[in-house]
Amino acid sequence: MIYWEDISPGRTFETASITISREEILEFAAEFDPQPFHLNSQAADDSIFGGLCASGWHICALMMRLMADTFKREGLASMGSPGVPELRWRKPVFAEDTLKGTFKVSECRESKSNPAMGLMELEVAVCNQEDKTVIEMTSTMMVARK
Amino acid sequence: MNKTPYIRTRWFEDIPVGEFHVFGTHTFGEKEIIDFGNKYDPQPFHVDPELARDSAFRGLVASGWHICAIWMKMMVTYMERYATGVKDGRRNGAGVGFQDLRWIKPVRPGHTLTFTYEIVEKTDQVVRGKWGVIRSRNEAFNQYGELVFSFVIDILAERRPEGGEGTGAVIR
Repeated sequence: MIYWEDISPGRTFETASITISREEILEFAAEFDPQPFHLNSQAADDSIFGGLCASGWHICALMMRLMADTFKREGLASMGSPGVPELRWRKPVFAEDTLKGTFKVSECRESKSNPAMGLMELEVAVCNQEDKTVIEMTSTMMVARK
Repeated sequence: MNKTPYIRTRWFEDIPVGEFHVFGTHTFGEKEIIDFGNKYDPQPFHVDPELARDSAFRGLVASGWHICAIWMKMMVTYMERYATGVKDGRRNGAGVGFQDLRWIKPVRPGHTLTFTYEIVEKTDQVVRGKWGVIRSRNEAFNQYGELVFSFVIDILAERRPEGGEGTGAVIR
């Protein structure tokens, strides 16, 4: 396992990649975000996005999946997250886009409330197959101490 | 019944800072927590009740992104109930981003969250010629009245076009 003490600022993790299908976009939208530009091609063409695109929350969920799989692969002792100081949706994500993430540790600090864990600030970016950033986020992560 | 239209069905100029709505309630079931976790956030405390018991959460908890997705679902349901024109989609604005999102307390199976928003700011920024930015503070409270989730989101709203009258959509 990798614990809080094992990580210092500057450490960068690369996630695997994931390709999003039209069916997945429609399925997530039908359940959580049934707005026309996530469900209907014609309405989407007329919308601000210019085409059927994934819900922003779907992109967040996929980003989380990429990160959770990376925690597992690296043996990172994640204890969850207390929050996200900032997130920007930079570009829409369309069917058959392939997403890949990077997260860099920008700060490590002790937890005042829980001696069993430490905190890390992360700078996260998810890019598409053209290497354009679709999401940028700063987030806080709780990691177990030795 | 409250007939105030949802923010994206009015022109940017018609949306008042200070407007406050209680817009939805959702009870999280164990199965939906585990299903979401398996798909998007397969950490032990979101997918495995036994391993979750030994985690810092002392039991299964919903993924924070699941709470976000339910926030969106409540918001869309609310706007469909209170305004027509939403299904058209041309005037639905996109979310630009959010700040200061906090997952304050765990959400466990059987917990019921009530969601609120308040319009806190309108910025002068004009996006792609016709959109304004509306900033709202969103909160969710559990059945004990505890604040469990909060964030501030920026959403685009269409600015009133030259000569445009009335509201941006037909209100039922």
